[in-house]
Amino acid sequence: MSKQAAHGRADRRARAKPTPDAEKAMREDLARADRALRGVPPVLAHFLVVPNPPLITDEVVARMRGNLDSLARQLIDSTSRAVIGNDQRTGEIEGLSQCLAASSIVLSFCFALAIESETTERLEKRERIDPVLSPLLQELIASSSEETAELAMKALTAQSRFVQQQRRMSLSLDELPADIFHEVLRRWEAQSEDHPEVAGGLKQLKGSYDEANGRVALLARLLGTMRRDAKAALDLEQAGFALFSTALAQFSNQPRELAVLSSHESQTARLALFLRAAGLDEGALQQQFLLFAHSSRFPTETCNLAPEEAAAILAEASRPQGG
Amino acid sequence: MMNERDEALLAARGHLDRDGRLLSADEPLARLQEDCGGTLPGVIAVPELRALVEDCMRIGLRIGREFSAFDGTFTVTGYVRIHPLDEAMGGGCELLVENWQRQAVEAPSSRDLASRLDDIDRASAEISARLDAEQRLQYVLANAEDAGGLQETVRSSPGRHWSDYLTLKGVAHHQPLHWRLLDGSQCELPGSERNWRIRLLPIGPRSTAPLGFDLLLLADRPLVEPDAEPQATHSQLVGSALTPVLRRPIARIVAKAETIRARLAGPLRAEYSEYAGNIALAGQHLGAMLDDLADIETLDAPDFTTASEPVDLVDAAKRAAGILGVRAQSKNIEIVVQNPAKPVVADGDFRRVLQIFINLIGNAIAYSPDGSTITICAGRSGDDRVELSVADQGPGVSEDQAERIFDKFERLGRDIGADQEPGSGLGLYISRRLARAMHGDLAVTPAEPASAPPGAKFTLSLPARAA
Repeated sequence: MSKQAAHGRADRRARAKPTPDAEKAMREDLARADRALRGVPPVLAHFLVVPNPPLITDEVVARMRGNLDSLARQLIDSTSRAVIGNDQRTGEIEGLSQCLAASSIVLSFCFALAIESETTERLEKRERIDPVLSPLLQELIASSSEETAELAMKALTAQSRFVQQQRRMSLSLDELPADIFHEVLRRWEAQSEDHPEVAGGLKQLKGSYDEANGRVALLARLLGTMRRDAKAALDLEQAGFALFSTALAQFSNQPRELAVLSSHESQTARLALFLRAAGLDEGALQQQFLLFAHSSRFPTETCNLAPEEAAAILAEASRPQGG
Repeated sequence: MMNERDEALLAARGHLDRDGRLLSADEPLARLQEDCGGTLPGVIAVPELRALVEDCMRIGLRIGREFSAFDGTFTVTGYVRIHPLDEAMGGGCELLVENWQRQAVEAPSSRDLASRLDDIDRASAEISARLDAEQRLQYVLANAEDAGGLQETVRSSPGRHWSDYLTLKGVAHHQPLHWRLLDGSQCELPGSERNWRIRLLPIGPRSTAPLGFDLLLLADRPLVEPDAEPQATHSQLVGSALTPVLRRPIARIVAKAETIRARLAGPLRAEYSEYAGNIALAGQHLGAMLDDLADIETLDAPDFTTASEPVDLVDAAKRAAGILGVRAQSKNIEIVVQNPAKPVVADGDFRRVLQIFINLIGNAIAYSPDGSTITICAGRSGDDRVELSVADQGPGVSEDQAERIFDKFERLGRDIGADQEPGSGLGLYISRRLARAMHGDLAVTPAEPASAPPGAKFTLSLPARAA
């Protein structure tokens, strides 16, 4: 008891007023800690009622971290601040990467990419579906229409670069859709207010960006040139997963990210609806469904829906809540 | 930069200013704009494109998206790329549409169509009422000002058969008729000068024995007269109607003629190659002429106004000179822009001033001998005026020519070599009209008979911008 009291006295004696800087740092640390705690319930909830297999795996987390870090690295390197040391650079990348992760739209986009990579790899292993050069793409490259052939070639290049980058868990800034690119730049700008040299890098990045030359855009443009034949891309084995999900999104009038996510085993209802909304009949629908090698039951009732009804259900589900 | 292949994919191109007005558009885009109720130039009227343009302007990035729109008959789909333009070029954006496709819209089933028409009528009826199963009026809701008479009658004697309250037209048969026969017929209302259409929509699961009816009355025209047309019509024939339609075929003529001239498709006798060159030249002339005619129409429009903003004349002249730099170089002509001691700032419309300078410098290049110099200098010409002059070392303009040079289609026989880009004879006319619209003027100084080389000097004067 007396020992404790003595300790308390010593403590009081030593207590000097902390500097404003130190106080600020502690507040920031606490805010970070709070954020971490706030993130716990949804994560725990996810793991407790885990779909089998889970949507979020170590692999997905690692991929997303890799992608975010790689975006941050490209941003930092775009400034001409070659002078900063390696340690400082690593620190800045980490900070920016966390700042990007705080944006839900950036996060959702990276998540869909992680799932796309995972599915692409799975399909390659199990079904021997080439992640880059599918039979349909080969056919398009050999097309008699120069425009189609040219676009197909560009799409092939973009897709192979994407697959290679994803194996290294990195992601090129040019691959971001315009609104995500805008958000990423906005966050970076906000974070580097005290670095005027960032403005130059920003301007250059904006100037060289063209959404229409990204992989996803090229796939969509390629499908566009196929006109009525675009339905051929709804055959996964022929088209490959990248072109297939673009076609799925286009025919059901839904965002491509959702079409990609529907490939996950926890999303079988969505997949069935997507396939139906794209206009596949029962036989084709079942065939495509099974390729994703889901153990779950094939939802036969989907086939009773008209394609428009399936599309309506999807549209309703993806409408923002309370809007 | 887009490469040639991308160009081949391109179906239509358009330019928008910073306020989202479509300034120019290739034929398919121009037609879609008109089908959607817009004009050219005018605010972009295709809702789907408009949303994308706004997106692009908001984030200032080059975007590319699929779009689909409805032109009244067909569904138009394509891939649109929107490139924001530099502020230095006046802002706005460029619109490139690839893969333009028109598809017939699937006709809705007749049942869907009928139910949609019912919905439209429900939404647009100015008077609606509820009837019971015997078609007796239960209540009436009216939004129209001329429905007072009807409401008065209903109040004084409620609960009667609905047809007692109004005058059916063209129904000779004695009431009651089967309701289906009255659905869609016309009537008049007490105290209303309008004609009304009747809709009777049954309520309840069985339309053969309805539990009641919705009675809708739809007027044949809105009560408020639309404002009278603001002005007598001025011709929009060339500008909005012909130019977009003609530009594309002309461009094709020029491109094909160039192909022949350059013998890209195979060997050809020299004379034919030369003829093709002439065709290309004439085509270019026609194209330039169309643009000019469209400009004149714009100028003649009653609502034509110019912006009032500070315009640095020297800066504008340098930009115009930059745009024409290649043409000047090909004739080995030097353009000298003299820098004034302090900026010469006019009150005017930057784009219009630039247009005038491009015309003046373009003319100077066309009429100057090889290896000569064009001198541009700016300064104040009074307390509240500023001016900028463009002087060349060409043959100059005589006094009586100076009188006529600003007239429509006046070229004064100053014809230039066949290898030059021909003019329409409208440029100076337009430039002077523009200058005067900005409360300025454009004048030419006749050559002194004795001076050599004579040269022509065009001077644009504008009100000075108060500092």
